[in-house]
Amino acid sequence: MSSGMKASRWGNKHLAQKPGIVCLMAMFLVSLPFWADEYITTIFIQILLYMSLGHMWNLLAGYTGLVSLGQQMFIGLGGYSLAVITEVYHLPMLLGIFTGGLVSVLFAWLISHPIFKMRGVYFTIGTWIAAEALAVFFSNWTFVRSGQGFNITISYGLSTGDIYFVALAAGAGSMALVFLLLRSRIGLALMAMRDNEHAAEAIGIDLYRTKLMCFLLAAFVTGITGGAFYLSIAYIQPFAAFGIDWTVAMVFMVIIGGIGTMEGPVIGAAFYVLMKQYLYAYPGISMILLGTTAIGIILLAPKGIMGMVQERYGLDLVSVRRWSKEG
Amino acid sequence: MMRDEVMLEVESLNVHYGDFQALHNVSLSIKRGSVVSLIGSNGAGKTTLLNAIMGVNKPTSGAISFLGERVDGLPTHKIVAKGLAMSPEGGRVFPKMTVKENLLMGAYLPNARGKKVAAMEKVFSLFPVLKEKSDDESTFLSGGQRQMLAISRALMGAPSLLFCDEISLGLAPVIIKDIYRTIGAISHEGLTIVLVEQDVKRSLKYSDYSYVMLKGKIVLEGKSAELSEDEVRDAYFGTNRYAHY
Amino acid sequence: MEIVQSIVNGIMLGGLYAVIGIGMSIVFGIMGLTNLAHGDLVIVGTFLCMSLAAQFGGNLFLSLGLTAILMVLIGFILQKYLVNKVLDKGTEPALIATFSISICMANLLLLLFGADARSIQTPIASTNIVDTAYFSISAVYFLDFVTALVVIAALHYLLGHTYFGRAIRAASGDAGAAELMGVDTKKTYSYAMCLSMLTAAIAGMLVGMTFVFYPSTGTQYLIIAFAVVVIGGMGSLAGTLVGGVVLGLAQLLGAYFFGVGYQLLCGYLVLLILLTVKPEGLLSTAVRK
Repeated sequence: MSSGMKASRWGNKHLAQKPGIVCLMAMFLVSLPFWADEYITTIFIQILLYMSLGHMWNLLAGYTGLVSLGQQMFIGLGGYSLAVITEVYHLPMLLGIFTGGLVSVLFAWLISHPIFKMRGVYFTIGTWIAAEALAVFFSNWTFVRSGQGFNITISYGLSTGDIYFVALAAGAGSMALVFLLLRSRIGLALMAMRDNEHAAEAIGIDLYRTKLMCFLLAAFVTGITGGAFYLSIAYIQPFAAFGIDWTVAMVFMVIIGGIGTMEGPVIGAAFYVLMKQYLYAYPGISMILLGTTAIGIILLAPKGIMGMVQERYGLDLVSVRRWSKEG
Repeated sequence: MMRDEVMLEVESLNVHYGDFQALHNVSLSIKRGSVVSLIGSNGAGKTTLLNAIMGVNKPTSGAISFLGERVDGLPTHKIVAKGLAMSPEGGRVFPKMTVKENLLMGAYLPNARGKKVAAMEKVFSLFPVLKEKSDDESTFLSGGQRQMLAISRALMGAPSLLFCDEISLGLAPVIIKDIYRTIGAISHEGLTIVLVEQDVKRSLKYSDYSYVMLKGKIVLEGKSAELSEDEVRDAYFGTNRYAHY
Repeated sequence: MEIVQSIVNGIMLGGLYAVIGIGMSIVFGIMGLTNLAHGDLVIVGTFLCMSLAAQFGGNLFLSLGLTAILMVLIGFILQKYLVNKVLDKGTEPALIATFSISICMANLLLLLFGADARSIQTPIASTNIVDTAYFSISAVYFLDFVTALVVIAALHYLLGHTYFGRAIRAASGDAGAAELMGVDTKKTYSYAMCLSMLTAAIAGMLVGMTFVFYPSTGTQYLIIAFAVVVIGGMGSLAGTLVGGVVLGLAQLLGAYFFGVGYQLLCGYLVLLILLTVKPEGLLSTAVRK
């Protein structure tokens, strides 16, 4: 899918250049738990965490060209790291979450060599199978209490506000990381690869290393987000932790919000969380609705909501393009 | 059968690829029973023109008529059903099928299917090497043999007009001569043939009428016997008189 | 000698896996489309079969026939209104579109039938065809294997000796050239999809008779289908049988040596290894690019 690279007719209208708006949003988000009720705070926790997942899936599929249906492996690893660190070793929760990120990166690095040998659809299904394999493995592993799973008791002592700040860190952090990455040399490499992989290689871009960096970064952030998720869910079990439902969320969020854009995962996450809330009593229907919306988007507006906005108004809220001085 | 009947008429055809205009106001007509050559270098627009006629591209404006019927805008398989056939550039024989199966595919259309046995005999008499290799997979054929297969496959459909797209590309002169001799034989039996070629000399030699294309336009046409090689070459390369195109 | 029983079961199950995978192989071989909804479509077939059998007093032939017709219809609609449109957009949109269909189907089944375990009752359920001291072959497993042989033989004839089949092969070899022969490639793709759905209907019935199933079982069978196709080689008929048997053996021998919990895992590991080392398939003579 193209990343909607169109020159803006309206000049430099990107949010990053308007520190005032960024400050306002930051103040809004940081102060939220102090004035909003439990329900709203919980919604925002969900949106922030799902957005983080979305940013990472978008980084892989939208910018690096790696369609992964197996990111749930890092969510599971992150969640289980938290569970093991806090329940088995009785260490602090933040350490548990951070370990989740570490374990995820290590695992990603371990499987990177074979998994990058798989191209295209083989990679896609390969990642999915790796996740399923982990699910089966964890459900047989007594150290992590097999199919029974863990109650993450440390969560019981936390307030919604506490969990919110963890989620905020994860969400804001992931967005900032993607933003910075795309503005770095790796970002340029990604854009070159996006247009023509062979040409990119010919001018000296190391395809493998670029893809690996993105894969590892996505693994790290997804792992941490997984830990944060399970902090709020407070109970982990292998088939749900490594289940495809996580990827379903990521795919639908990003496709509907707009693949290959920075704002897409944000819009998609809000859409996803709100829709699930609204249709809470009818879980099957929300999935069917999301699925049909995603199909509709692919057929009619493949660039998603944000893509449509960009095309119509030449607008970039948070640009990742490098503007020349003349703009 | 009127000797002067126009089989294919192209009128003021314009074709765009996005913003790029590939064909500018192209007009030509092919008379029944003739051998017409369409000459031009790479990028002159020959393939675009062929693709437009065969329904692969949709023209922006203009008309294409076959035997009096408008065919522009129709999908390829419908155009082929009306009696137009093409031996495409490179042959494009079906890779995982034998020579025989390729030929059978040529007779896919319902009216050709009934005559497929006789058609195959005919084709084997024109190109005996195909009969030898009839059970071999098409990928095992040499370049020249594959080209023969492509032409034969097109003939299996009992067409009334045959396009031969660059049949000499990449082949040894001896093979090319062989193939062209066979083309001559087919033409003598009454089939209307359009040869699309880069080779000026050969095109003029084997055709009755020629069109020369340059930068998406027809810049020169005429009876092949009356055109000089030098003039055709100028039109082909866009030199001297044709430098302004 | 329990290992002999595991081997026999592995081979027989291989037949079932082959029938599951053939539909995916057809669609991939002909359209280059990896249908991520294939597993769920098989399970749709299973549920249809089950419901229709209940309606018609357990008459499996009738329900299979009706299931096949319904599945072919579903396939035709999917092809015409979704797949044909998405094929031009590239491989990623197609993957995500079929992924979305997969999710929709699984949730639709959940909505209609609930999350309980189901099975298709058959009169031959607990009988054995062969019963020796060393091993036995259950009637259902035997049916699975024989069906695979019949389906593959039928497809081999269809694709090799009829114009319908030749058109499909031509369109998959070179769509443009096929059009030049007068083949309506879009329609041909629809026929290929219908063929795929027909095999999915058969596979669905067999799955329901052989195993317990849920609305969410589709994912498992997608992975099986994919494994079969990868191991045997995309687009190869005989390959799917080989792929099925290899997968079946990997699973059952894995269960024999490591325990039942590891049955699926062994299958997954074999597949992952092959994806890394020889994704064109065991039988393929193709050279890695």
